[in-house]
Amino acid sequence: MFCEKSVELIRELHRMGDGQLPAFNEDGIRQVLEEMKALYEQNQTDVNEAKTEGKSELIPSIKFRHSCLLRNQRCIAAYLYDRLLRIRALRWEYGSVLPTNIRFHMCAEEMEWFNQYKKSLATYMRSIGGEEGLDITQDMKPPKSLYIEVRCLKDHGEFEIDDGTVILLKKNSQHFLPRWKCEQLIRQGVLEHVIS
Amino acid sequence: MDAQSYMPVPPGVGMEENFFSLDDILLSHERLPCRTESAFPRLGFLEKSSDSRDIPEGTKMEMPLWLAKGLYERKRRVLSVELPKVYREGWRTVFGADPTVVDLYKMGPYYYGLGSQMLHFESPENPEIANTILQTFIGRFRRTMDSSQNAYNEDTSALVERLDYLERSLFKAGQSGLNNFQLWEKGRSSHLTASSLVINYRKRKMTDLQA
Amino acid sequence: MSDHSELSGGEEELMTPAELISRLEEAWLNEKFSPELLENKSELVECVMEQLTHMEENLQRVRKGDLKASVHRMEIDRIRFVLSSFLRSRLKKIEKFFPHVLEKEKSRADGDPSFLSPEEFAFAKEYLANTEVYLRAVALKHMPPNLQSVDMMKAVPEPCLDSFVFLRVKEKQENILVEPETDEQREYVVDLDEGSQHLMRYRTIAPLVASGAVQLI
Repeated sequence: MFCEKSVELIRELHRMGDGQLPAFNEDGIRQVLEEMKALYEQNQTDVNEAKTEGKSELIPSIKFRHSCLLRNQRCIAAYLYDRLLRIRALRWEYGSVLPTNIRFHMCAEEMEWFNQYKKSLATYMRSIGGEEGLDITQDMKPPKSLYIEVRCLKDHGEFEIDDGTVILLKKNSQHFLPRWKCEQLIRQGVLEHVIS
Repeated sequence: MDAQSYMPVPPGVGMEENFFSLDDILLSHERLPCRTESAFPRLGFLEKSSDSRDIPEGTKMEMPLWLAKGLYERKRRVLSVELPKVYREGWRTVFGADPTVVDLYKMGPYYYGLGSQMLHFESPENPEIANTILQTFIGRFRRTMDSSQNAYNEDTSALVERLDYLERSLFKAGQSGLNNFQLWEKGRSSHLTASSLVINYRKRKMTDLQA
Repeated sequence: MSDHSELSGGEEELMTPAELISRLEEAWLNEKFSPELLENKSELVECVMEQLTHMEENLQRVRKGDLKASVHRMEIDRIRFVLSSFLRSRLKKIEKFFPHVLEKEKSRADGDPSFLSPEEFAFAKEYLANTEVYLRAVALKHMPPNLQSVDMMKAVPEPCLDSFVFLRVKEKQENILVEPETDEQREYVVDLDEGSQHLMRYRTIAPLVASGAVQLI
C-alpha cells in the first residue's frame, strides 16, 4: 500500500512521547517525496487520458492516488510541525544555547527556525513593561524561599551572584544561593536542589 | 506548576480530526473491511492476491480509514465500508450488558476514536453505534477515574492493560494530578528539578555508551 | 505601602499596590484557566513592572541582613513569578493557536478591545512567517504543484470553548442560558449568586469572564 513510509515518520516521533527530538529523518522524507512524485505523474497521465479519450473509468483510481498524495502531505507536514514543537520546548528547557548532541539531530532549516524563534522571543521579552524587559523563561515555579541549598553535579566554572560575589561551581561542592539565580542551572542539570 | 514545555497537538474531539495530531494520524491508519463498488484501473498491484492490472469491482479488501474517508462519497459510490466487528450488533449487545468486562485495548485500541470516525460513513446503524460508544464510556469511566486516584495502594496494571487509548490518557491525567497533589501535600511542589528532557537525553547518552 | 501607582484605562484611576497585585492575580488565574486567549492587560503589566522596579530601588536602601530586606525580596520574587506565569500562559496560547489569534486580531473592529498587545502581535506574526517559511523550505516546495501549501487556519486547531471551567461569581447574574448536554435535555436558565462557585462550559460564561463578573478558579 502507498503511504507506509510517511506513517513510519509519524510512528518514529510518537514513540518518543516525552518530547525528545530524534534525528531528522532526511532519507524518510526523500522517499515520501519520491512516492508523491510518482503518484502525481501517474495521475497526470490518467487525467489526460480521461480528458482526451473520454476514459471516465479512470476517475476512481485518480481519486485514489489523490487521497494518497494528500495523506503524504499531511504526514510530512505533521512530522515537521511536531518537531518544531519539540524544538520550541528545547528553548524553554535548555536556554538559548543547545548542546551539540541535540544540534546534531536538527536539519539546517530547523536550526534557522530555532534561531528565529529565539530572536522573536528575546524581542518580545525585552519589550515587556515598556523598556524594562522581563525574562519569562525564569521563575517557572512559585518561590518558597529566597535561598536554596544546591549541590554541583559537574564543573561549571565561575558564577556571579546578585551582589557581585563570584563563586566557583566545582563538582560535588555545595552552596547556599539565591533561588532565582540557580533555576536555569538546575533545569540544565548542572546543579541539584538539595532538600534537607 | 507550569506544565511540560513540549505540548503536542491533541487529537480532535468527537468526529473531528486534527490535521497535525500524531494520534489522529495513527488512528486514521487503522484498517477497515471494504468492498469496491467500481473498478480501480491500473492499481491491481496493490492487491496481493491477484495479478490483474486492475482492482475489479466487488473486491473485498482492507483499507486504512484515511483512504476510505478520501474515497467515500454519497452520490458516486466507489467504495462501501463495512462495520468492524466490535461496532456490530453482536458486540453492541455484549457492551450493553456489562461494558466493564471488555478488553478495549484488544478490541481497539482506538475503540472510541475509530467508532466516532465510523459515523462519517452514514450507516443506518449510526444512532446505535453512537449510543453504544457513549454508554460504554460512561459505564467504564467511574472505574477508570477511581483507580487512577488509588494507584498508590493498589496494582492497577491489569486494569490499565484493558483500557483503550482515550481511557489511558485520562488515567494518566488522573495519576499526574494525584502525584502533583501529593507533592504539594509534602511541601515539595517548589522543589526545583532538572528538566525531564535533560534527564532523558542524559539517560540516552548513557545507554549509547553502554551499547 | 501607602504610595499610589496609576493605571490609566481611559480615565485616570488610582490604585494602591495591593489593589494592583490583586488585579494581576485575577488576570493571571483567568488567563491560566480559560481555554482561549483573553484581552491583553498591557497597562496592568506595565504598572506591575514599575512597581517591581520601585520595590527593587527601595530594597537597595535597606541594610543587608535586615530582616525587612528578605521579606521585601520574597515579595518581589512572588510578584515576578505571578507576572511571568501570566505572560507565559498568554504566550503559550498565542503559539498554540497563532493563525486563529492573528485572524481574530485582524478582523477586529476599530474600538473593540485588542486581544494581543502590540508586542504579542509582532511575536505572533513572526511565529507564523517563520513556521511557514520552514515548512515550505524543507518539504512543501518539493511537492507536486497543487500540494505546495498548507492552510494553517485548518491545520492548527482552534481553542476548545466547550471545555469546562471552575468559576466564582463576583457579581450576581440572572437568567444565564445553559445549553442542553444530551438530546433528552432541554436548555434551561440559571441564576448565579454572588460568591457561589460553579463548574460550567467556558462558552456559556465567556462574556462574564471578559466583563469581570466571574473569576475563573
